[in-house]
Amino acid sequence: MLSTQAIENIKKAIAKYPRKKSASMDALMIAQKECGHLTEDILLEIAHLLEMPPVQLNQVAAFYTMYNKRPVGKYHIQVCTNISCSLLGSEHIFQFFSKMLGIKKGETTSDKKFTLSEVECLGSCGTAPMMQINDDYYENLTEAKIEEILKTLK
Amino acid sequence: MEPVLLKNINTPDSHRIDVYIKNGGYQALPAALKMQTDALIQMVKDSGLRGRGGAGFSTGLKWSFITKDATIPKYLCCNADEGEPGTFKDRAIIEKDPHQLIEGMIIACYAIGAHAAYIYIRGEFDFGARRLEQAISEAHQKGYLGKNILNSSFNCHIYVHRGAGAYICGEETALIESIEGKRGQPRIKPPFPAQVGLFAKPTVINNVETLACIPHIVNKGPRWFASIGPEKSPGPKIVGVSGHVKNPGLYELPMGTPLREVIFTHAGGIRDGRKFKAAIPGGVSAPMLTEKDLDTTMDFDGMAAKGTMLGSAGVIVMDDTTCIVKVAMRTMGFFRHESCGKCTPCREGTDWTYKVLHRIEHGQGKDGDVELLEKLCGNIFGRTFCPLGDGAVMALRGALKNFRNEFEYHVKKKRCMV
Amino acid sequence: MATVKINGKEITTEDGTLILDAARQAGFEIPTFCYQARLSRLGSCRMCLVEIGGQKKLQPSCITPVLHGMEVFTENETVKSARSSMLEFLLANHPLDCPTCDKGGECELQDFVFKSGPRRSPFSEWKRRFHEKDEILSPIIVKNHNRCIHCERCARICDEVVGVSALGGIGRGAKTQETSFWNTTLDCDHCGNCIEVCPVGSFMSLPYRYKSRPWDLKEADTVCPYCATGCQITIGARNGEILRVRSKSATGINKETLCSRGRFGYHFMQSGKRLTKPMIKKGGKLIECSWDEALSAIKQRFGMGRKTAGIASARLTNEELFVFQKLVRDVFKTNNIDLDSRFANKWVTSAMVDICGFGEGGISIFDALKADTIFIIGSAISDENPITDYLIRTTASDKRKTLILAHPRRIKLNSSATISLKYKPANPGDVIKGIVNFIEKGKDKAEGDIDTAALRFKNASNITMFLGADILRLDNGVDVLKNIAVLKTLLKKAGKNINCLPLFDRCNQRGAINMGIHPLFLPGFKKTEEEGMDCGEILSAAKNGEIESLYVLGEDIVSMYPDAGFAKDAVSKVKFLVVQDTFLTETAKMADVVLPGATYAEKDGTFTNQEGRVQRVRKIISCVGDSKDDLSILDNIGGFGYKSAKDVFDDIKEEVPSYKDILFDALNNAGVLVNGQGAGVMSHESGVRSQRQEAIDDSEYPFQIITGNHLFHSGRLSQKAHVLVKLLAEPFVEISDEDAKELGLSDKEVVIVKSKEYEAALKLRMVKGSQKGVAFIPENFDSVSVNLFYKKGKGIPKVKIIKQ
Ligand SMILES: Cc1cc2nc3c(=O)[nH]c(=O)nc-3n(C[C@H](O)[C@H](O)[C@H](O)COP(=O)(O)O)c2cc1C
Ligand code: SF4
Ligand code: SF4
Ligand code: SF4
Ligand code: SF4
Ligand code: FES
Ligand code: FES
Repeated sequence: MLSTQAIENIKKAIAKYPRKKSASMDALMIAQKECGHLTEDILLEIAHLLEMPPVQLNQVAAFYTMYNKRPVGKYHIQVCTNISCSLLGSEHIFQFFSKMLGIKKGETTSDKKFTLSEVECLGSCGTAPMMQINDDYYENLTEAKIEEILKTLK
Repeated sequence: MEPVLLKNINTPDSHRIDVYIKNGGYQALPAALKMQTDALIQMVKDSGLRGRGGAGFSTGLKWSFITKDATIPKYLCCNADEGEPGTFKDRAIIEKDPHQLIEGMIIACYAIGAHAAYIYIRGEFDFGARRLEQAISEAHQKGYLGKNILNSSFNCHIYVHRGAGAYICGEETALIESIEGKRGQPRIKPPFPAQVGLFAKPTVINNVETLACIPHIVNKGPRWFASIGPEKSPGPKIVGVSGHVKNPGLYELPMGTPLREVIFTHAGGIRDGRKFKAAIPGGVSAPMLTEKDLDTTMDFDGMAAKGTMLGSAGVIVMDDTTCIVKVAMRTMGFFRHESCGKCTPCREGTDWTYKVLHRIEHGQGKDGDVELLEKLCGNIFGRTFCPLGDGAVMALRGALKNFRNEFEYHVKKKRCMV
Repeated sequence: MATVKINGKEITTEDGTLILDAARQAGFEIPTFCYQARLSRLGSCRMCLVEIGGQKKLQPSCITPVLHGMEVFTENETVKSARSSMLEFLLANHPLDCPTCDKGGECELQDFVFKSGPRRSPFSEWKRRFHEKDEILSPIIVKNHNRCIHCERCARICDEVVGVSALGGIGRGAKTQETSFWNTTLDCDHCGNCIEVCPVGSFMSLPYRYKSRPWDLKEADTVCPYCATGCQITIGARNGEILRVRSKSATGINKETLCSRGRFGYHFMQSGKRLTKPMIKKGGKLIECSWDEALSAIKQRFGMGRKTAGIASARLTNEELFVFQKLVRDVFKTNNIDLDSRFANKWVTSAMVDICGFGEGGISIFDALKADTIFIIGSAISDENPITDYLIRTTASDKRKTLILAHPRRIKLNSSATISLKYKPANPGDVIKGIVNFIEKGKDKAEGDIDTAALRFKNASNITMFLGADILRLDNGVDVLKNIAVLKTLLKKAGKNINCLPLFDRCNQRGAINMGIHPLFLPGFKKTEEEGMDCGEILSAAKNGEIESLYVLGEDIVSMYPDAGFAKDAVSKVKFLVVQDTFLTETAKMADVVLPGATYAEKDGTFTNQEGRVQRVRKIISCVGDSKDDLSILDNIGGFGYKSAKDVFDDIKEEVPSYKDILFDALNNAGVLVNGQGAGVMSHESGVRSQRQEAIDDSEYPFQIITGNHLFHSGRLSQKAHVLVKLLAEPFVEISDEDAKELGLSDKEVVIVKSKEYEAALKLRMVKGSQKGVAFIPENFDSVSVNLFYKKGKGIPKVKIIKQ
């Protein structure tokens, strides 16, 4: 069940558009922020709020990569491995994370703290290599910088 | 050239409305509101401004397609999906100088008679989205947005619509679908968005940088704009340089600046004393250029003449340590991941081509693989539903055309040349 | 008009014609996957790419209209190689398990590859696999995602035509799966249209799974035996066993669609409970006997004159019904003959005949749907006539059209309606009176939905009204129809074009009326010299011992007549009861002689659907056991000497002028609409009498019962079709969510439904948007027979609903 706050926020999102369905993307993100990942029940609840067929909502949830259908760790580390980042060593960065956390692509640490993913270009190629952890960008990455960052993530 | 669009990005608090106003912002809006909309559209036409989203279509002309019938609601969509790998220009405007964009959007809405606009921003730009929300609310408070803007009869609202991770939503009809709350799959054209767009109403879609040019055109006049760079694609242009250069970053240059000057003068040349090998001029969809093409000018027509495109002007520079097969594989991997899956040649073609490239790159190439790649390119190109599939092919063809020997080497020797 | 050259051949077509259609007109076939005429344009499979002179890129012919002067190439090397490359792409990841695929032999992918595909695949990579074992998606669907070619026909038909929106592409790019919401069991209309339109073996029919190879099936085109929409179906049988029913994209008014009843409701014919031998009552018990014994008993014991009667089912063919009325009138010498159709009183039926202008000939549904304003009253059409519902839904997607839907229940079609009107089951007339009032008073400001509807009528120029069978059920149905007649006249006077069509729930209801199964008129609406008794009157008379012989043809009166106790009592008083049926129904159990008849797949003949379209029913399997086709049974008793259905049809043509021009042997899948050569015989002004139905609200019993067919069922027949039973095995009671909330009841809980007559425990279903104070119970189940709530003469039953 979504909190009343989340439902309020979804209603605000609905108000932006002439059709309720348009708020589906916002609604999914609001729910994900609250629940961590999207489940069958959450989708049914949102579909009901937006008066849309559940399958059409799931089409949205499954199409866009930022919606998590499975639980992710507290910190979702998303390393860009597209060309500009790759030219400047993103694979190395990824391997470094993998070694430090002891997990492979798409996995979550057993303490549920970190999930490690590879992502496409994040629009920050001038400061490659880079990554995103949850909502924040971290740019011009080096091993030393990563160690520092990991220390701040409690 | 004096920077225009990036002039204030290093000013402290450049994203605040007060700072924007202090530096001459929101002067174009009152001027524009005093103009007839036809004159305004003519002004944009006269400036020669061509869309900065990649296709380079005349912005004024696009606006002029919108019906003048005031009883029909219309929409403006700002394309801030910025997903083309190698591109990071719109983000700078959004985060550092959002009012420039908002002022441009209000003027555009006025010109086409829209009372609502959506900024489609890619979901990963969380910071940017918050900046925009803040800027919109500041503009409301100052009376630049909302009802009876600056005591005129014009009403306008801007909403932020956040994407959630899909490159294809940068394609204008997929973007519309996405705002309508659906999967981002392109729609059949015609009807074009100018007739049947968002919520089935006439709609203009413009890139962030395109819209950010508008206040400057209104302020300084179309002739000023047209005088910068080549006659057929004039204006200032933000070029993003990334990859193996000493000084990666954004450079605002006149359209038509030669690629060589961009890489070697502005971006400081190749880093670590290595040699230049190739450059992708306009995001990964644009075929790569080599040494011999370095004097090509960075504008729509100059690039087209060399079989590539200006695209988003995201220049990716590669030095001589770069394995082109790997670049090709990674690029195809991107398109395979981003293919929306609607049409057969792109959905199946990018998947298949990637698998072949993956094999070659991993030392399992077979005789005839290079020919197979060429055949696959031919079977995809020109037959897909939207330009994404073509982009995938153009990128691979660019690599094959210039570095066929590297592919063949991989196939034969099962290892990399470099 | 546009003149274009296709492969050098010049043809002229209408502007806006798709290149695909123009090419087909010119005789060039272009392969397609995603294109389906009645679905929204997708243009995604790229199979249909063609070259247009002067254009560099190939263009999809399924979304590109012709332009005058265009030159198109559909067969040149570029086009052919593009076509072959698309197939190559589709095959790349295709499992190619044709030998074990149910679709093998009738698969569009297989066919196109055979015709224009690559002979060898250069694809040598790992194939994408979503699963190893096929997935069961519903009681009727088995799904193989690996075979999907992403044409999205399944999802589009479900959304745009069926109106359920249960399917969609989940995922992105090559990883997309066309499936249900969470890839879990579907709770949908179970129509199987997704299966029908799937070009490959991705959506497959579970009941048909591994049953047969298509080339081993013997197929015949015939008509669905359930509702009066009159869908064309194709029955496939092997070794005398029916294995499937399908629809065809170019056939019938239904085209590729059917509802769950039509597609999966065929198993009753092979139910082990079929009657296979005649039976005769001896010592109070029915025992099997020979045909001779049974028939001579009837010939000897069935009486003659006013104390005899016949009641028939509207599921029989025109030919059988014609012979039946001949038997009743010419041999039994009585006009006491009626249909079971909702046990309407005779005046309501004749008023319906009048207002729908049966005498004026048939109206094609497609012409009817050209109207700008469509009005439906008295039918839960989404349940009763599902394919008519589909046709209206697709028409109403044109937002320039107005769809006004009036019914107490909220049904699926409401989501497509411009205006939804509600009323209490006993008073559909109120809605009409409201509309008439608005128009008569010359108002033009609308307050409330009825006014808005009236305003739409005022502004319409071409109107079609669909009148549902609910109205037939009402004792005051005549008044309701009178009100509608007033509205019709009013609108006609205002210069509007108006068509009225009935919505019937039995496949041959209109045909039966044409054939004179009615106490007031003979075949072709000729008035009888003497008024006969209708069903209710016959039963009342029987109860008083005034009916001595009763012949019941294919109907279970005891289970269906509204007031079970009364019906049973009445039937029990009949001295000699003959029941001719396919099952030992409750009524048959009481008979003196039981005759085993045939189902529609076991006989030839014709049905006339609600439009007035005469369609051929074709025999595909032989009768079970010693059972006989109904025509020969009736013919034997009457001694008429008819040899075949065609023989009878020749007589029908003589007596029913509107059938005169129809050639039995030439009837094809399109059927033929009856013509208007029988006009003006009946007139509602003449004899129509109203029997007021009291509809006083009773605060102790606040719900009015409305009944009818459920989407998965029809009468009591569908109970014998096990797939349909799997879809819905038990009745339920449906009320509005408002009522449920007020009563503190929740969805799916078992509640007590109690009238003064009867009470039953039923599962509750709540529906948002239904009329308050209305309880719907489907009439299709023996377990809680809804007619037990009824009391003859008391009108619509009133009940209360309480927590168990
Ligand atoms: C696959 C694809 C991705 C695109 N991505 C973007 C994008 O991220 N941002 C953008 O402005 N335009 C993008 N475009 C171009 C848009 O479709 C459209 O042409 C542009 O937004 C129009 O704006 P403009 O006229 O101001 O350039 C993309 C096009 C395609 C085919
Ligand atoms: S080319 Fe086809 S599959 Fe690829 S993104 Fe465009 S529409 Fe989707
Ligand atoms: S069976 Fe009918 S309702 Fe169910 S998913 Fe298929 S098309 Fe939709
Ligand atoms: S399941 Fe069948 S109908 Fe649906 S998209 Fe796949 S191939 Fe087409
Ligand atoms: S709509 Fe009626 S005729 Fe058509 S398949 Fe269903 S029950 Fe049969
Ligand atoms: S390539 Fe990594 S941010 Fe663009
Ligand atoms: S049939 Fe034309 S694109 Fe699919």
